[in-house]
Amino acid sequence: MEDIIRIVKEFILDKFLPGEDPAALTPSTQLMSSGILDSLATLDLVSFLEERFKIELEARETDVSRMGTLNDIAQLVQPKLPAGK
Amino acid sequence: MPALMKVGSILLQLALAALVIRQFELENRTFFNVFLLSAVAFPVHALLPARYRLSFFAAVSLGGIFLVFGPLGGGLLIGAGLALIGVCHLPLAFGVRVAIALAIGGVLALARDGRIPSVMPAGVWPILGSMFMFRLAVYMQALKHDKTPPTIARTLSYFFMLPNVCFPLYPVVDYTTFGRTYYDDDADAIYQRGAKWITRGLVHLLLYRYVYLHLTLDPTTLHSLSDLVQALLSVFLLYLRVSGQFHLIVGLLQLFGFHLPETHRLYYLASSISDYWRRINIYWKDFMMKLVFYPSFFKLRGKGDRVALVLSTLCVFFATWLLHSYQWFWLRSEFPITPQDILFWALLGGLVVINTLRETKKGRKRTLAAKPKGWDSSLALRTTGTFILLCILWSLWSAESLVDWLFMWPAALHVGAMDVAVVGGLLAFGLAVSGFVWDAPVSARKGPEPLYLRTDVRTYAVLVALLVISTSQLKQAAGPRIGGFIATLQSASLNTQDRALQQRGYYEKLDNRGRLSAQLWTTIQRAPAGLLALTDTKAYRRRTDDFIGGDLTPNSSGLVSGKLVTVNSMGMRDHDYTLAKPADTKRIALLGPSYTMGSGVADDETYDAYLEPRMNEQQGGSPRYETLNFGVAAYSLLHQMRILDDRAYKFNPDVVLLTDSRTPARPIVQHLIRALEDGTLGTYPGLDSIVKRAGVHDYPGKGVAIATDPLRAMARMVGVKTRMPYREAYIRLNNAMSEIIDWTLQHTAEQAKAHGAVPIFVDGMFPADTAIPDSPMMASARKHGFLVIELATQWEGQPRDDLRIGAWDNHPNPRAMKMIADGLYREFQKHESELHLGIHPASTATPPPTTPDSSRAHSKD
Repeated sequence: MEDIIRIVKEFILDKFLPGEDPAALTPSTQLMSSGILDSLATLDLVSFLEERFKIELEARETDVSRMGTLNDIAQLVQPKLPAGK
Repeated sequence: MPALMKVGSILLQLALAALVIRQFELENRTFFNVFLLSAVAFPVHALLPARYRLSFFAAVSLGGIFLVFGPLGGGLLIGAGLALIGVCHLPLAFGVRVAIALAIGGVLALARDGRIPSVMPAGVWPILGSMFMFRLAVYMQALKHDKTPPTIARTLSYFFMLPNVCFPLYPVVDYTTFGRTYYDDDADAIYQRGAKWITRGLVHLLLYRYVYLHLTLDPTTLHSLSDLVQALLSVFLLYLRVSGQFHLIVGLLQLFGFHLPETHRLYYLASSISDYWRRINIYWKDFMMKLVFYPSFFKLRGKGDRVALVLSTLCVFFATWLLHSYQWFWLRSEFPITPQDILFWALLGGLVVINTLRETKKGRKRTLAAKPKGWDSSLALRTTGTFILLCILWSLWSAESLVDWLFMWPAALHVGAMDVAVVGGLLAFGLAVSGFVWDAPVSARKGPEPLYLRTDVRTYAVLVALLVISTSQLKQAAGPRIGGFIATLQSASLNTQDRALQQRGYYEKLDNRGRLSAQLWTTIQRAPAGLLALTDTKAYRRRTDDFIGGDLTPNSSGLVSGKLVTVNSMGMRDHDYTLAKPADTKRIALLGPSYTMGSGVADDETYDAYLEPRMNEQQGGSPRYETLNFGVAAYSLLHQMRILDDRAYKFNPDVVLLTDSRTPARPIVQHLIRALEDGTLGTYPGLDSIVKRAGVHDYPGKGVAIATDPLRAMARMVGVKTRMPYREAYIRLNNAMSEIIDWTLQHTAEQAKAHGAVPIFVDGMFPADTAIPDSPMMASARKHGFLVIELATQWEGQPRDDLRIGAWDNHPNPRAMKMIADGLYREFQKHESELHLGIHPASTATPPPTTPDSSRAHSKD
């Protein structure tokens, strides 16, 4: 889980929040309601997650309950990972 | 104990909010009752053990429905709702359940539209529609995908949630979010946020009322650049009503632990169209994202991300346009499909697509920390530009027709020094405000908040300030001007345009109900069902053979607005008179629209019916007085002129009394257009030449309706037969209104004098009128020799509700009719030297006020 959070956090900081203090982005920071992840950024993130973790996401998994925070994203990705990863 | 104190503090804020709602008559009585119910239920809910709270909220919500609609309406609403929810849980395949829900929806739609009989009370339909038209789809999707099964309490709370019973226009709350955010934060913080948003909602509603009453302009009567800017600005700002209601709704839900997202966050400060879409109605945006955007994008991904992005975005705006009309159907029983709607959503969608593509290329600046303080010129320009663009788009969406919208813009060419100052000042203000960052930082503020920044302190401050403003002591101290202004904000009255529309709706069917303002719609909805306008009864006949266009059918009767209108053999709502004036008799011909005819009152309750016996009783029978009622609902000044010329002078009146509302233009224009269609305008060559000068010669005719002379000329060059559209003719005639009114009054005064009658023009007969020193119409009447009488002063200090037919209808009721008769009699006494009515000096004392039984108009018979 922590690895997923770290990888996704790096992606978000690099892609959407360049130059921001990494400490300000915590696992519980609201990504969608704060406007960091808007629809476009969500689609970028979906592409990244699918490519990076070799998983497939569905349209219904793009909502705030599954992608609202780094914690939520990790919980979404984790069960989709091949066993042992 | 601290928790108890916090609950007590919130309760105190709710009590203050309830006082504000009462003091300013915000929304309606139903809302006030539901608000009180919420305020009473709040502490009980907050102090209950957590496991009982959701069930308690569901019970209060169901109780609210019974409170508002009573046992029958409430039972039917809940019954229909439970049936729909039950379908979602049938042990059948998902697709079958969807099909059954759609079939039931179809049957309900037919009943809503009146195509099949239904026992559902009219007021229940919008609420039933509002509760289920979108939420059912969201709920079914959640049933299909969510892992957590729904509970009865949660489902009932979701569909019947308390505030919905008084707000048909309701945010599309997501079922998953509804459950996920339930007490997901500190309870006290959620409650306090609720009180804050309720307060913010009340402020939005007050601002809306200011805009609605004092800023809105009729788009067909703009004369300068500043008029145009005011019209554009006010149309966009009218949306404050929706944002106010949404804040109230979401705020009330927070009081019960539903920590739903903030709606309409600083939406007038959006820095781009996409930013606006993200800020304004985020519940709708999220609904569209969930049900349209992401599913479309994932389906279209095979075509490439950019193509999928563009097509999915366009799908969202197409769906928004269509669902907007669908929503209107459930709320107002209309399915508006207008070019303005199509253009608005197409343009908005197109702009979002362009902006989205730009953002995919260049990215969008985001930040976690507090944004730098200080003024940012780039932000100011982008935000102001977005605001102006949205004002323009909004004006297009709200316009009565595309022609109306196009004909607004020539006003921009009329620029004076004042226009430059006003527009320049507004622009400078906009740039100054929008250059600062007002959004709170994403990351939490460090350290304790200073007292003045605490949410509860600020909420108390705003509520107390509003209450202080509403006190009569402060209004008196502020003087008549400011005090009067505050008083206007304290009652839910109609603005000038809507009052005119309401009057029009009284005698005509409002053909475009979907475009009526929310205020007028709410007012109209209060009318009892089944009331008929005069034109729908046999008491009225349409006439294409005469300039009059239509009059009362001789020897007929009809139930107009619930009251019997009896017409005599000469086409008057009056008893019969001989054509020849009897000896020692003075005659007064009364002309005017609905309130002269007496719409909404009985035959013996018109002011004519009170005036004639009053004059005869007071004067002792010599001379005798006869007041002849030539009033007909919807009659404009032109009708009154025609009735005089064609009919009234044959009765040899000594005085002719004309009256019209403060908004005379619409009936005059409609009359002229009808006369053009009937070919009867030639009766009055002077009027005909004004109409020709207004450039309405292309109307009517056969051919393709094309707006503006240049476009018609171009079309004719390629062989297309053209004609002027109705709205263009309307606007052109409207622009010539002063000349038309002036000519009419001049002609009437000349004819009256030629027939030996004194012309009187009476202003202020409508109980909603306030006294004014003068108006263009009064000035014109005075110029041409009318005796001008202002009756509006008699309404001052009188509760308007005691003077009008009902909350839905501002026409004078019997009590107001008596006051009009008294007022006219006093004026006749005062002006005896000009009127020569033979009123005895001994009887010039003001007559005692009539009581309901003392002046039965039967005595005139």
